[in-house]
Amino acid sequence: MAVSQRALEATGLPRLGRLARVREWWEQEHVFGYSLIVPALALLVGLVAYPFGMAIYFSLSDYWVGSPGEFVGLQNFRDIVGNEMFQQTVYNSFVFSIIAVVFKTVLGVWLAMLLFRDFRFKRLIRGAVLLPWVIPTALSVLAWGWMFDSLYSVVNWTAIHLGLINPPGPNWLGMTSYAMTAVIAVNVWRGLPFFAIIVLAGLVSIPREYYEAAEVDGAGSWGRFRNVTLPLLKPVLAVVILFSTIFTFSDFNIVQVLTRGGPVNTTHLFATLAYQIGLTGGNLGQGAAVSLFLFPMLAAIVFIQLRYIRRE
Amino acid sequence: MISRRRFLKSSAGALAGTSAAFLERPPAFAQKRELTFLTFNHFVPASDDELRRQAEVFAKQAGVTVRVDTIAGPQLFAKRAAQATSQSGHDLIVTGAADPFLYEQQLVDMGDLVAYLGDRYGGWYSFASQTCQTSSGWRAVPWFWVAFPGCYNEAHFKRAGLQAPKTWDDLLKAGKILKKQGNPVGIAISHCTDANISFWSILWCHGGKVLETDGKTPAINSDKAAQVVEWYKDLYANAMEPEVLSWDNASNNRFLLSGKGSWIHNAISPYVAAVAKSMPIADEINHHASPAGPGGIHCATTVNSLAIWKFSKNVSLAKDFIKFLFQKESYNSFITGGSGFNQPPLKSFAEHPIWASNLKYAMLPKEADYVHEQGWPAKPNAAVQLIVVNFVLPDIVAKAINGMPTKRALAWGEDQVKLALQGKLRTEGKG
Repeated sequence: MAVSQRALEATGLPRLGRLARVREWWEQEHVFGYSLIVPALALLVGLVAYPFGMAIYFSLSDYWVGSPGEFVGLQNFRDIVGNEMFQQTVYNSFVFSIIAVVFKTVLGVWLAMLLFRDFRFKRLIRGAVLLPWVIPTALSVLAWGWMFDSLYSVVNWTAIHLGLINPPGPNWLGMTSYAMTAVIAVNVWRGLPFFAIIVLAGLVSIPREYYEAAEVDGAGSWGRFRNVTLPLLKPVLAVVILFSTIFTFSDFNIVQVLTRGGPVNTTHLFATLAYQIGLTGGNLGQGAAVSLFLFPMLAAIVFIQLRYIRRE
Repeated sequence: MISRRRFLKSSAGALAGTSAAFLERPPAFAQKRELTFLTFNHFVPASDDELRRQAEVFAKQAGVTVRVDTIAGPQLFAKRAAQATSQSGHDLIVTGAADPFLYEQQLVDMGDLVAYLGDRYGGWYSFASQTCQTSSGWRAVPWFWVAFPGCYNEAHFKRAGLQAPKTWDDLLKAGKILKKQGNPVGIAISHCTDANISFWSILWCHGGKVLETDGKTPAINSDKAAQVVEWYKDLYANAMEPEVLSWDNASNNRFLLSGKGSWIHNAISPYVAAVAKSMPIADEINHHASPAGPGGIHCATTVNSLAIWKFSKNVSLAKDFIKFLFQKESYNSFITGGSGFNQPPLKSFAEHPIWASNLKYAMLPKEADYVHEQGWPAKPNAAVQLIVVNFVLPDIVAKAINGMPTKRALAWGEDQVKLALQGKLRTEGKG
């Protein structure tokens, strides 16, 4: 410290003059503007572009953990496309994502309409609804794992005691269709608040006058929803569905914690299969190829939806 | 014991010599050297406490600091990959299964240390070289292995008038009676480690194998494997419950500890947990040697080994630390700390008093004579790793149970084995 102060004293005014010049240069619009973007750009390059570039490089090479490989062109892609496990994963991903997003959309709009009403403890409940979205997924999914446990399933226990099913009840995570139902249910439970809160924001922004006008024209509650709420919510809905589709397609935690892709690979998603082949299996090249398959599909979805949003 | 001052004095001389030879590396007098070690959270937490205690003792003796980091086992895959790629991280890491093969080019040769320890402590069991010796040498030092005996509820067996099963067929017969009694047996047929371990064991006992010794030729689609799948189908339908299709590694422990299950193929962890938590069921649980079959007695195991990254700046210190962990006094405390869970890969440590002190542990050290790492008779190479982590073997059984004809399920398995073999991992030996 002492040294730097002495240095400053010694330099005196001319130093300040230089500082003033630097400030003047800094405050020019194009310099200042670009320098504001630099942190974001650095983050994008470091955390998105660089890993993405590496993934492409890995997928085109025979790269194993601990041993850099040679360039093999599209061999990894050819290998996985021919693999029944991967074909199953593609099928799973579509079933999982489509069903989950549809449920999240319908239930999300419904929940948002409920939250839009006036009721006691409105703020508290609106906040509480966000909980599934806020709790770390790995933790909440562990709890779900217990609820679907083969021996101590609270889901089965409740259903049996309500007389809805016969004991011992379904083996949730061990039977193909049940396991898919379970992972979709958890995904919907987790993603619903995101939907509801954003749709709620959309609802709040709809001017009350439209509803009053519709009422004057004799519209019932369904008519108001169909002709006022839904059309005005469309842009918001399109954006939420877009985000949700991306999140759902690339889901990892839920499947990894609940089923690890089982039974017999019927719940594997792109991310879990890529992790399994690339990291635990050590074949980084193929793992990267599996995860990159997500990219063109998501790009197509984003393209279609963004075009739709712009047209709206 | 060497005092810190004496150690510093003598090491100063050694360092002066070394620094003359490697001028670019100045001696680090200013700062205490730190040795870092990464391992998984042990299933018996007291074992980690003992490891940390030993690390402190070594640190004092050597005048360094030793940092032992533990993380959840499944996270190790990503951690190891990240450290190898970035060429930075811990000095010493725990490895297992195919790691010494996958990271062959990144790990220090341990031949000298393996020879030293083998000479000193009665020699290594045969599985040691199977798991840690690649074509270019020893890439890790076997640390401890996990026995997979039959864990059973003696009371349930007595009530049914049954003895502990000696063969897999005995188990099938007993299981049918026990299921009727309301106490089914359980072998996981799902995406978990235990499911893999049991399948390899049962397959070997029936004379089958997944890969030939060369590690390149698939051998899964055989009559012997078909016999095993048929055996599984019978066991599933008549001695087990569908829950085995969704089990994770902890499920079978819960199954036995709940009092419902009568038999599982597992490490001794349910018993250790029951004793630690003073659960009354601990008295009813006992162990017996992993069952045999027409092809003899074999059992799969996981061998945990210690490896040093080539990028480490503390290679000789890390080797000294490993030597310290294998000193008779240290290793004996390690076995006691792990309540008998940590099985020694060196023959002289098998004479530990813990096995004799509790009859329920009596047969554990003998398992060392017939355990193999997954992949045997092939080495646990990259293809074996993919077969294991893709859960190909339990999935063959699950497919057959779900109605696919056995032959077709095995053909599917063979396809998966072939795909796993397609990987072209380059090894140091082959360039």
